Amino acid sequence: MSRSSSRRIRDVGFTLILVVAFALLPLVYPQEYFVHLLALSAISTILAMGLQLVFGYAGQISIAHGAFFGIGAYTSALLMLRLGWPFVLAFLAAGAMAAMWSLVLVPIVRLRGPYLAVATLGFAILVHLILLNEEWLTEGPFGLMNVPSPKIGSWTFGSEARMYYLCLACAILIYFGLRRIVSSRFGRALEAIEQNEEAARSCGIDVRLYKIKCFLVAAFTAGLAGSLFAHLTHYLNPNDFTFWKSIQIILMIVVGGLGSLEGAVVGAIIMTLLPEYLRAWDDVRLLIYGLLVIVFMAFGKKGLIGLLQSAVVLARRRLRRTTSSFGLAEKTAK
Amino acid sequence: MEWARFAEQLVGALAIGCIYSLIALGYSMIIRATEILHFAQGEIVMLGAMFGVTLFRFTPLPYVAVFIIAMALAGVAGFLLEVGVYRVLRGRKVTLLNIMIATVGVSIVLQNVARLTWGSEPIRYPTIYAKATYSLGPLQVPTQMLWVVLAGLALMVALQLFFEKTRQGLALQAAAQDPQTAQLMGINLDRTISLTFAISGAVGGAAGVLLAPMFFATFDMGFITGIKGFVAATLGGLGSIPGAMLGGILFGILETFGAIWISTSYKDAIGMILLIVILLVFPQGLMGLIGQGEGRR
Repeated sequence: MSRSSSRRIRDVGFTLILVVAFALLPLVYPQEYFVHLLALSAISTILAMGLQLVFGYAGQISIAHGAFFGIGAYTSALLMLRLGWPFVLAFLAAGAMAAMWSLVLVPIVRLRGPYLAVATLGFAILVHLILLNEEWLTEGPFGLMNVPSPKIGSWTFGSEARMYYLCLACAILIYFGLRRIVSSRFGRALEAIEQNEEAARSCGIDVRLYKIKCFLVAAFTAGLAGSLFAHLTHYLNPNDFTFWKSIQIILMIVVGGLGSLEGAVVGAIIMTLLPEYLRAWDDVRLLIYGLLVIVFMAFGKKGLIGLLQSAVVLARRRLRRTTSSFGLAEKTAK
Repeated sequence: MEWARFAEQLVGALAIGCIYSLIALGYSMIIRATEILHFAQGEIVMLGAMFGVTLFRFTPLPYVAVFIIAMALAGVAGFLLEVGVYRVLRGRKVTLLNIMIATVGVSIVLQNVARLTWGSEPIRYPTIYAKATYSLGPLQVPTQMLWVVLAGLALMVALQLFFEKTRQGLALQAAAQDPQTAQLMGINLDRTISLTFAISGAVGGAAGVLLAPMFFATFDMGFITGIKGFVAATLGGLGSIPGAMLGGILFGILETFGAIWISTSYKDAIGMILLIVILLVFPQGLMGLIGQGEGRR
């Protein structure tokens, strides 16, 4: 068996174990609040993976991701509340609407570095202001109440646990979808753009088109995540979707590690659960959170995943050294 | 609108514009010297406001002295951040992006330190001026606005003189333009960078002491104010000192009159749309538009 296929089997096995573990979690810890947090983590995972495509793979600093999340949440909630659309359609429409809004960014994508960051920040602030001020549509600062639970066929996802399984299933599907994208020609083109835009262009990569597509895919997944969020919490407030949300998502992927979907998953789960577990310290909770962010940043670009990988490599090397020295000892003994 | 009202509004706009200019200056200086987008700059502004209000409460010092001491304290805060956090990160050779995100962490930490120290209630500044308004012919100008404009302009002129006329200022400029060459000429880069952070901190603190009496001092006043200052810096041209001054004043005017003539709820939107347009049409900002050579001084 070749080395790569054995690695592949190991990867698939590893993923399966993780999926089963996450599926069993609500059975082990059935407290409603904990399951709710798990569902939120699954949603964060979708958001972080989408941004990873833009930020980690293509190297484009976008502060607009939280805005797409908000657009998706409001679209899905309003379609079900006002027009009585079935959930599946509203869910897909949320993604489509966010993707459509990402086309507003088309003229912006040619900006680079801090300029792109500021322009997308501007976009995020605009979207928040629209959600806040267009009261005829969004109920403004009072927020949108009584967002119904999703219903697929005769199944109603009323309980936290059911909602969690729905979010988990979506997160897994999106993971495999993005996995395919990043290992395809498209993903390689994005990485080329991240490394050197001019070189990528001279290799015949249509940089502008790829960037637009990349934003489109990311916005679509963020819209889907928004829909799940709306029907999980049953209440939407414009202040959930300020540019601060975008920064939180950026924190997730930078903490987890840039440039890998696994990094996005790890970062999303940690950064969603961490503030909750720091609740014990109550007053200094956010202080510790901020300090941890600074400490995480000292680990470098690959984040926690990178740290984990180098730890594994180190352990393996040490293991090999001890076994080979054993072998040597046996030989000399003979 | 009659012209007297208009002129009064204009003074208000100039005042808030001067404050944005000061904040933008901080961003621009730091970005020029280190390429770091310093997200915690807004928190330095907040710290300045908090130092100011504390000094007012517990000491009998006059406003000018409070202003100067608060400025100095904020400068020390900026200096400590550089030495304690950013220099350590640079020493570990992490990417610029990591340092930028770390500044977000610093911003969260400072906000919460402030919340624990000064509480989460908005703090009102005591009345500072004996006379609330000043009559200039038919105009009724609030003394506060006049003071803000004067102090802001004076600071900007002083800073410009420092950069153009003193050895230390020239060293800062040289280090920002070409760090390697500057180092070869005997300029200590670590020192220029910490000095840059100290000056940006002081200028930000000044903005805080000037801003807070117009509204309130709160622990979370920094972030959104900081973002606006950053937008102002981009408007003028990131990294340009005169650009930051111009951008701040322009942004103040746009925000004030946008709120009056177009819509109060969308007043932040006007600035953002303008920002995006400017970035698309002249990415170098206004200074890039005025003179190519002048832009990145």
